[in-house]
Amino acid sequence: MGRDLALIIPEIAVLLTAVGALIAEMLRRPRIALVVAVIGLFVATGLTLRLVGTDTTVFGGSFRIDTLSIWAKLILLPATVLTMLLARVDVGGSAREGTVYSLLCFATVGALVLAGAGDTMFLVLGTLLTGLATFALVAYPDTDPATEAAMKFFVFASVTTAIMIFGLSYWFGAAGSTLIADLPAMDKMPLAVILGFVAVVVGLGYKASLVPFHFWAPDAYEGAPLSIAAYLSVVPKVGALFALTQVVRDLPPETGWTVVIAGLAVLSMTYGYLAALVQDNVIRLLAYSSIAQSGYFLLGIVAVGASELALTSIILFAAAYAAMNLGAFAVAAATGRTLNDFSGLGRARPLMGIAMVIFLLSLVGIPPLAGFVGKFLLFAAAIDAQFTWLAVVAIVNTVLSLAVYLRIIVPMYRAGNMAPAAPDPWLGVVVITAFAATLIIGLAAQFFLV
Amino acid sequence: MLPLVSLTLFLPLAGAVLILCLPKPTARTVHGIAIASAALTLVGALAMWLQGVSGEGFSQVEELEWIPAIGAAYRVGVDGISLPLVLLSAVLFLVALIYASSLRDRPRAYVALVLLLETTAIGTFSALDGILFYVFFEVSLVSMYFMIAGWGHEDRQRAALMFFIYTLLGSLPLLLAILGLYLGSPEPTFDMRAWIANPPLEGAAAMWALIAMLITFAVKIPAVPLHTWLPAAHVQAPTVGSVILAGIMLKFGTYGLVRFALQMTPEAFREAGIVVLVFGVVSAIYGAFAALAQTDLKRLVAYTSVNHMGYVIVGVAVAALTLDPAIRATALDGAVLQMFSHGLVTGALFFLVGMIQERADTREMGEFGGLLKTVPLLGWFFVLAAFASLGLPGLAHFPAEFQIFLATLGTTPIAVVVVLGIAIIAGTFLKALRETFMGEPLKRWHAMPDLGMRELLVVVPLLLLTVATGVAPSWVLDVIHRTTSALVL
Repeated sequence: MGRDLALIIPEIAVLLTAVGALIAEMLRRPRIALVVAVIGLFVATGLTLRLVGTDTTVFGGSFRIDTLSIWAKLILLPATVLTMLLARVDVGGSAREGTVYSLLCFATVGALVLAGAGDTMFLVLGTLLTGLATFALVAYPDTDPATEAAMKFFVFASVTTAIMIFGLSYWFGAAGSTLIADLPAMDKMPLAVILGFVAVVVGLGYKASLVPFHFWAPDAYEGAPLSIAAYLSVVPKVGALFALTQVVRDLPPETGWTVVIAGLAVLSMTYGYLAALVQDNVIRLLAYSSIAQSGYFLLGIVAVGASELALTSIILFAAAYAAMNLGAFAVAAATGRTLNDFSGLGRARPLMGIAMVIFLLSLVGIPPLAGFVGKFLLFAAAIDAQFTWLAVVAIVNTVLSLAVYLRIIVPMYRAGNMAPAAPDPWLGVVVITAFAATLIIGLAAQFFLV
Repeated sequence: MLPLVSLTLFLPLAGAVLILCLPKPTARTVHGIAIASAALTLVGALAMWLQGVSGEGFSQVEELEWIPAIGAAYRVGVDGISLPLVLLSAVLFLVALIYASSLRDRPRAYVALVLLLETTAIGTFSALDGILFYVFFEVSLVSMYFMIAGWGHEDRQRAALMFFIYTLLGSLPLLLAILGLYLGSPEPTFDMRAWIANPPLEGAAAMWALIAMLITFAVKIPAVPLHTWLPAAHVQAPTVGSVILAGIMLKFGTYGLVRFALQMTPEAFREAGIVVLVFGVVSAIYGAFAALAQTDLKRLVAYTSVNHMGYVIVGVAVAALTLDPAIRATALDGAVLQMFSHGLVTGALFFLVGMIQERADTREMGEFGGLLKTVPLLGWFFVLAAFASLGLPGLAHFPAEFQIFLATLGTTPIAVVVVLGIAIIAGTFLKALRETFMGEPLKRWHAMPDLGMRELLVVVPLLLLTVATGVAPSWVLDVIHRTTSALVL
């Protein structure tokens, strides 16, 4: 028991941080809540570093301390810190500011639970924990659009999670255990396996906003504070995709799960970019883009078990995606929510403009940026697993994505009437951090391949 | 030992970073730094030239660990095929920056882009790692997009968008081919030397990889029918953009055709050689006829590029088809020299057209007449460049095209119909010269000034090299031949 607790110290640290931030808020000291949260998350990240290289399970195999869950912490904890700085700009000075930081920590705990899930009950726990915290965060501004967004989000989440729980009951019935590692035992009941898997895909697919479970995402992103939209597009999504990876690692290949995942990949990438192509609202555009990017993750997930590159590619792309997507949202926070707001950005604020161009080109996958290395490895994993056709579809979508992101870049270099202005310093910190990460992750890819 | 290749490769980038870091520099400083770093790059390229290449494999190789877990590394080096192209890049970029030194519209971003392009160009030619090659290949696209979109002519946004999407669509198949070569290697590596020494793919896989590569390089070269982006991009691009596009970036395609398609999937290329040959012949003839139909000088020069690159494709295809190493060496000698010559000659032609446009604000042949009398220097230089382009003996294209035709005659004599292209191009240029430069000078152009010092510094070196290559091609050919004669496929 002592060993198990020692291995989940980072998760405990995040949980304590959430409580600490809440206490500071109760004392009406929101700034202190922020400081506590940021320090706590950094401490948790530091505590994770000494675990690198560990590959074991705790609590009777129900929670995994492996490459995926360790990297989830190393990626998602700093990402949460960056969203908190964004949130400070967004909701700073509002009535219950400190609860935002606390809720962000709770939601991150949920994502970490998902990423290390070794037991189907942890899938449910993680989904609910992240869900409950993020419903409240979306509704935080207490405006009509935010409330509407939160309602849609809530209803959608409740139904999909219920379906997941229902499906998991089949797995429990067939395998006689809730451990994911025991799933191969049910190879005698193919129908139960596939029913359960489809249900899990529904539950995690909503969280990862995969098509066709994505309907809530554009509305929720649009209604929520920008920082929360940025958070939703990164932390819960990566948590859910890592959870899906944990599930398929132990799923027998005969069940045909790869076909389901490959189909979802095609749908998500293609529909996401096609829908993004007609958006005039940058937040909705980024929402659809994040739907499409989830599809790219599936290229790695489809190769789990068949290619050694699969896990590496998923982790590397998650890091790249977190950096470039948060960066793009941060620039949007400094600029505006419509495409028109971006006209002239590149001329009036050249540094902000260059940063945005780098983020967007990285989202396309232009070398040598982070997104390129991530997608390159994802393609390699898919081809290695005999899914060359899927890599071809992904490549065609990459061209489509260029058209999408150029819709933001092109007006940036038109003559506009934007006045040069220095952004909020904390926003600057977020942009610079994301910018540096986007440049460095590509060149320092070796670091992720241990 | 200095790491010469890396120094040459990153000097322009260092210049660009310096320019971007200076707080509020004047246009003069910006251009000064840019020209200085391009000049230093040329010194580096000349030093590489003096070091020379050994016959087999690559020389001056520099290696650094990058992502050992997947067998990717920073590997650069040159052989007789890439070294002339590195030298060509260093020369063309230096004169391009001299030409651009009169620019006052956002000069900082502009020269930074040109310098970035120089690094990507030298990088593409000297990369010996699959990923590294792809990185340089793609970054060049992005820089060129911003150059056309930012400083092009009237309809630049649309042209830039078309260029970017078209060529990105074109280059992604190469990514698949690189992944195929990687996954097919017995020991997973991105080392291009290993891929060349032991082509990792065979059978259908090799054929698919070859098809993917051919699509990528055909778009880049550009070969008919994938050439449609070229006239649009050229017409809208600023002069320097056109020079770099035609002089350097088209060679990415032909260089890739040799380095990847021919060297890494030789068996498949031999099987498909006849198809490639047909595309080459069609490109050459089509490019020539299309050039003949143009009235806009810039479009005319752009289409002659399609024609000249068609000859390169023919040369490479012949090298793949033939079983005689001597003929193969001749064909490749011609193809590589043709790339080198085309860079010099077409570079000069695009600069001269740009100079005409700056003075007259039009490029329509019909609007001119008698320019030879109004602006004799510009006129005679244009005549010289045009003659070089149509393959006159004693000028750069002649030895190249001669060797390509010679090798073709020895392998697939029927393909020599491609020689027709020369006659059509001759007609094209003679028509252009008559309409633009001959006859009585028009009154409206009387005040047109002749070439200034800056412009002479741009054109004269290119034309001198054109003559030098034409009269005594051995100074380049020796380097090329050392590698092509030792090539084992």
